[in-house]
Amino acid sequence: MSRRSVCLVVLLLIAAPLCADAPGVYAITGGTVHPVSGAAIDKGVVVIRDGLIEAVGANLPIPPDATIIDAKGGHVYPGLIDAQTSLGFAAAAPRRRGFGGGGGGAAQPATPPPPETSPAFQAIREAKLSDDDVEAKRATGVTTILTVPASGIFNGQSAVLNLAEGSMESRVIRAGVTQQVSFSPRAAWTYPDSLMGVISYVKQSLLDAQQNAAALAIYTKNPAGNKRPDQSAAADALAAVLRRDVPVVFIADTELMMRRAMAIAKEFNLRYMLSGARQAYRMVNDLQSIPVLVSVKWPTAPASKEDKEEQPLRVIRDRQLAPTSPAALAKSGANFALVSGAAKTAEFIPGVRKAIENGLSADDALRATTLSPARILGIDRQLGTLEKGKIANVVVSDKPIFEEKAKVTRVFVDGRETKLPSEEEKAKRAEGATPAASPLDGTWSLSVKSAQGDVNITATLHVEDGRVTGTFSGDRGSGDIKSGSFDGTTVEFTISAKTDAESADWVFHGTVSGTAMSGSVSTNLGTFQFSGSKGQ
Amino acid sequence: MRNARHPERSEGSQPRGRRILRCFVAALLSMTGGAIAENVIAIRDATILTVTNGKIEHGTVLIRGSKIAAVGPNASVAVPAGAQVIDAAGKFVLPGIIDTHSHTGVDGSVNEISLPNTGMVRIADVLTNEDVSAYRQLAGGTTTALVLHGSANPIGGQSQIVKWKWGHPVSEWPVAGAPRTIKFALGENPKSSNFRPPPGTPLQYPQTRMGVEEVIRKSFTDARDYMARWDEYEARRKRGETPLPPRRDLLMETMADILRGNIDVHSHCYRADEIMMLINLANEMGFKVREFQHVLEGYKVAREIAAHGAGGGTFIDWWGYKLEAYDAIPYNVALMERAGVVTSVNSDSDELARHLNQDAAKAMKYGGLTEDEALKLCTINPARQLRLDHRIGSIDVGKDADLAIWTGHPLSTYSRVESTFVEGEMVFDRQRDLQLRKDLAKEKADRLKKEADDEAKKKKDAAKKPEEKKDE
Repeated sequence: MSRRSVCLVVLLLIAAPLCADAPGVYAITGGTVHPVSGAAIDKGVVVIRDGLIEAVGANLPIPPDATIIDAKGGHVYPGLIDAQTSLGFAAAAPRRRGFGGGGGGAAQPATPPPPETSPAFQAIREAKLSDDDVEAKRATGVTTILTVPASGIFNGQSAVLNLAEGSMESRVIRAGVTQQVSFSPRAAWTYPDSLMGVISYVKQSLLDAQQNAAALAIYTKNPAGNKRPDQSAAADALAAVLRRDVPVVFIADTELMMRRAMAIAKEFNLRYMLSGARQAYRMVNDLQSIPVLVSVKWPTAPASKEDKEEQPLRVIRDRQLAPTSPAALAKSGANFALVSGAAKTAEFIPGVRKAIENGLSADDALRATTLSPARILGIDRQLGTLEKGKIANVVVSDKPIFEEKAKVTRVFVDGRETKLPSEEEKAKRAEGATPAASPLDGTWSLSVKSAQGDVNITATLHVEDGRVTGTFSGDRGSGDIKSGSFDGTTVEFTISAKTDAESADWVFHGTVSGTAMSGSVSTNLGTFQFSGSKGQ
Repeated sequence: MRNARHPERSEGSQPRGRRILRCFVAALLSMTGGAIAENVIAIRDATILTVTNGKIEHGTVLIRGSKIAAVGPNASVAVPAGAQVIDAAGKFVLPGIIDTHSHTGVDGSVNEISLPNTGMVRIADVLTNEDVSAYRQLAGGTTTALVLHGSANPIGGQSQIVKWKWGHPVSEWPVAGAPRTIKFALGENPKSSNFRPPPGTPLQYPQTRMGVEEVIRKSFTDARDYMARWDEYEARRKRGETPLPPRRDLLMETMADILRGNIDVHSHCYRADEIMMLINLANEMGFKVREFQHVLEGYKVAREIAAHGAGGGTFIDWWGYKLEAYDAIPYNVALMERAGVVTSVNSDSDELARHLNQDAAKAMKYGGLTEDEALKLCTINPARQLRLDHRIGSIDVGKDADLAIWTGHPLSTYSRVESTFVEGEMVFDRQRDLQLRKDLAKEKADRLKKEADDEAKKKKDAAKKPEEKKDE
């Protein structure tokens, strides 16, 4: 054998485990194995063969054909399952008024528009997972996700995917797992543009599906003399929900929203779960028979001391108690999982850590990110633990995975070792993950030239993902910013302005240039010009 | 008194907060003679403004459970052993004030603005018990409200009659068995005179008063068709046929329920011509308008309103804030009342809802209503408009124990509320409120301090890190 060919063989041998087409045989040895199905195994062994777990235990014989993965000093886990993401879909657009979403065609946001969703929308057909998305997610230890868009009211049918390298088809664990409903009003002047409208819309959609299913059943038996019912993909999708074949995931963060979702589910006898559940801490006793997906997107405090002190106690209290929800649920024996929800990929593990800091045990946190979501999604025969015969999604970390400085060192998905982002890539992403403060962020003094004279309003605004939140106060009462959007230049936000006899929505449309803002405001008394500037 | 809570208390089922509260309540109970199984409260020696049966000096109101068990001069009302006795000497007792035009306690927009008729949406679905304004209204003696949809469209959403049961789950706020209600709106608001959608959005139909009338008329003719379709379906089924079921349409169900008399219409209006339009339309279509709201030109057509059997809920001295509000006069209340219209003063405002007693008092100056007539404007008259006068609106045996103890006569601007009861439970008390303000301010300060301390500690730890590395 020539020297050159020896080199080639050596190279191939080194490269083989990383880029082999077929899943190989691996023995992960030396680490503390956390099978979740049972107690941790010190210096345990996990044997992977052909994409599945072949054996888990202490002192196992290492198969002679296995590639040995030395996990000495490290920890071995089943791949984490994130049961609530919108990975592969454009973010839900901020509420826009009018039709076509254009508003004059100027200053279009650079991001693609979110998908038009409906009950018939199938995440599995539309998800566009980029390699970056997948790698970043895996780097946190997550190997399986549920994904569905966050836009619209009926967000559509979710898909559960393994974050493997390869085709979309090969990633699918299950499609059409859940039907997701968000209580998000549409842009003003498009039904439904209020929360109460959304609730009516959801009920009417379910009634229509009921009617369609009943009509089809009768028509199939007695076509003669009856008008042919419409074929409706949306009604079919909701018929599956009404038959309890497909559970509904209601996105609901507050106690009131959760209770509203529960009322709808009860009225239509739905199989369902709640996602978001920030205020679960207020109602654990009523969540005993409902799977709860708790989003680790915890509320944050405003940056400045003054803004903090301005906030009512109820907001401060909620911010501090929200991260105690997982511990309260665990203590009560509720069936819950920890999920990203609205949190970004990089916020997931820190969010879980915050739940641990607020009383959740690390064991319960692990269960809530592995076996519990697997059970809730009905995939626990395939995933969620390290047990013989299950899909070989295995994660190795250098320290216990939820500890602050823990690093995921190896990730196997479907029995293949997958690429992890390099340190440079991570750093680059981290930069992208914390965008510079928006030019809109801050406290604005605005003056509206109304027919009755100048109206002064102070608005403290904050932008995240193009959505504007904040508070206002001044000549027309005070309160929260009701809705708003900002694309970098043009801003739109709504306040509930109080005048003598009526309170009405005032809708501001303006452009921001440096620390100046100007534009028009539509009010119940007419449209006026406004201008203002941002304080320090 | 068991569950009385302060604004910030309503939301959490927080163990710590509860414990403090329980200790507090226990202390109060021990002061008043120990816990008793049934809620029995005797308000002694007060001037009782019964509204329906005149004034009782040195009188006693006995509350048992959630109801008024007895009322009369001190000597005539026996106070059972174990009752909690409140000495109200020199004070006044007034039934809970009723506000038939409220937008308090609604999550999200009060307007579903998207369609000319949004009768399918329901305020009941979006009530919140976290609106502190409800508590502040209790502090002004207001206990019941009609929470209305907004006036952006000719037919708005279904409204909800609630009691401000502060501290209770929101599911307990709607008044059980109360009539269902819906908001209609006439004039400038539903024809979007004063509110233009931003450029690029098409104008919303209707844009004229003619259009408003047409929307309402067509909604009812559509509802008749809808009812006929269902009748035909039921008839065919009875004949043994297998017809396809018609669509169940939440909007049409609402319209049909108005025609069936199951939903009361409360209509926003200003001008005499539009009031007459709706009366004529209602007669033509076969429904009743239960109450004209705002009704600033009601004095011009008061006899017609009374003949229709509608009430009038109005402002005493708000006008001129838009063109259709220019012909308002402060004598409107007195003129309507004297013409036989069941008239009330109401708020449309979180702020005014806290002192409707003062607006009632102004009707004595403008139009010369008697003291009794003035008191009725914010008590039994709105109760009649809501068709709840058998339960609320006066201090009578058997009625709900909704009342407030005032420091002086409620028609005086110098009087304020000491305690407010809803269904026998003290939901506001001035002394308790003063204490809770301190407790809550302290809790806020403590929580902010803890947050600041945690943050400082994190910063310190982060600053340490590089040194640790050096050590390694």
